[in-house]
Amino acid sequence: MTRSRLVVLSALVVVGVGVVGALGALYFDPARAAVGPLPAEGLALPADTRFVMGFDVHRFVASPFYQRFGKDRQGQGRPPGFTELEEKTGLDPERDVDRIVFAGRGVEKGQEGGVLLVSGRFDRTKLSRAIETETRGVTSKNHEGTTEYLFREDAGGAKAGAAAFLDDDTLVLGPRESVEATITNHAGGKAPVRSNAALVALLESVKPGSTFWAVGDQSVLSRLPLSIPGAAGQGSVSLPPVKSVVVTGDLDPMLAVELTGEAVDSKSAQSLADVVRGLVALASLQANQKPELKELASAVSVTTDATRVHVNLRVPYELLDSLAPKRPAAGGTAEVR
Amino acid sequence: MRDTSRPVPFAPAARAVFDLALEGMVWSRRSLLMAVLLGLPIVFAIVYRAVLAAHIPPRVTPFDLYGAVVVFYYLRNVLPLAALFYATALIADEVEGKTLTYLLTRPVRREAIIAGKFAAYVATTLSLALPAVVLTFFILLTSQGRVGLGGAVPDLLRDLGVLALALLAYGALFTLLGVLLKRPMIPGLLFLFVWELIANLPGYLPRFTLTAYLRSLVRHRPAEEGISEIFGQILPTALCLEVLAGAVLVCLAAAAWIFSTREYVMDQ
Repeated sequence: MTRSRLVVLSALVVVGVGVVGALGALYFDPARAAVGPLPAEGLALPADTRFVMGFDVHRFVASPFYQRFGKDRQGQGRPPGFTELEEKTGLDPERDVDRIVFAGRGVEKGQEGGVLLVSGRFDRTKLSRAIETETRGVTSKNHEGTTEYLFREDAGGAKAGAAAFLDDDTLVLGPRESVEATITNHAGGKAPVRSNAALVALLESVKPGSTFWAVGDQSVLSRLPLSIPGAAGQGSVSLPPVKSVVVTGDLDPMLAVELTGEAVDSKSAQSLADVVRGLVALASLQANQKPELKELASAVSVTTDATRVHVNLRVPYELLDSLAPKRPAAGGTAEVR
Repeated sequence: MRDTSRPVPFAPAARAVFDLALEGMVWSRRSLLMAVLLGLPIVFAIVYRAVLAAHIPPRVTPFDLYGAVVVFYYLRNVLPLAALFYATALIADEVEGKTLTYLLTRPVRREAIIAGKFAAYVATTLSLALPAVVLTFFILLTSQGRVGLGGAVPDLLRDLGVLALALLAYGALFTLLGVLLKRPMIPGLLFLFVWELIANLPGYLPRFTLTAYLRSLVRHRPAEEGISEIFGQILPTALCLEVLAGAVLVCLAAAAWIFSTREYVMDQ
């Protein structure tokens, strides 16, 4: 064998060993069960899950966005589940939680469809005791070998919230029906989400490492406003239907959101893109009353690619501050008569 | 006894040229320089692990750094440069060194010469690039233990494939350039650092570049500033693979045809 062939062979060996090692890590690592950003435990969510959204909590609470808008319990910047988590379990999301995933089963099920998966580092025993002793109106029962905590259960057991530990690091909360379905799937080693090919495809398209993300298919998006008021004298403008939406975003150093919507065909995609561009143009026309809107309009870009519409938004926090409604100062001045 | 009135069959001829070209390519100063360039991310990964990990903000994960290395360093800069330096020289070096005559007087088909030399280029560049990527991946992603390593493996495999495809595509193009032009380096550099910037423009223009297809194939999307972030398009995977495969075939076929029909007159 010549020296050069030896070099090539050695390189191949290094790559081969690396690939085998990587495949071994993939096989033995629980993360192999994950689909996109959805953790392994999330695969136990019901198969009719229609939308999923997730937060990297550490990045989220460290971001300027959370410092500005997320700390207020009633604020719109607070992610779904933070307040519920604190009230029902005593968990401090900022300290104890690594990741939150919120999954909905379809808007026709309303609030009853959603389930919250919380991953973090918490003392399961201590937390269980806290739920049992410190939270009012809590009872517990055994479901498929897992202790399930029921909140505010009425006589018929309907419309009650529930919580349970899927494992030492994962807590599931939500309506009783959804939580029990998730427990059943997890206990049986089932992964019904994998059978939802559309959702899996959307999850796999999520940009890795995003601070927050959301994916949804048509059934949720059917509740989007399909018509918007048109210009004076022109009646309403119909918004083309969207098959699915994928949203990813980061919050540091600025609010950066990437939204990809899949329309039914390229013509609808073009119409949708034109509508978004029109809305952006309308906002910039309002610049006379509010100059910040012109800056906001220039922070948005819209492109199309076949049946997909991509909307990119990059907003500095100074601009967000100028657009946010001013809160009254604490201990504001009293009127003196 | 071989019939000496006919040229050597294609495969044995190409293999012989491959061996000869590989020996010349691997043990050259050019390869030493390329090895250093391609291996720099390994050094960075070691420095990150030893020193920088404690100082970089937690929002920048090792996986983010690996993605940035793949997209910005390998895919956009070093691999196209490696292809330029190697592939343009496949024939041009023989012409400049006045050794082409000796090669062409052998009973070897010209297409076999191109095939053997291109195969040697592919073997050399893959041998230099892929181990560096694998080592960088493991050094960076194990800096915080094995957590998350399994989840990143599909990206490693995908990246290795895309980087190999990048070497093939750029290599084929620059082989054609090397066959067409006497001095292909300047046009090659202009192509890489001027023409390929079109990939950052909106509309259909990016589809006339190679980089738009290559970066659509990787899943890493490092944050960028300016127009590349706003207008950066993600093209469908099937389209990217078809176009890149087509580019490789067309460029290589054109290079083989031009080389086999062209008359080379050596300067005295």
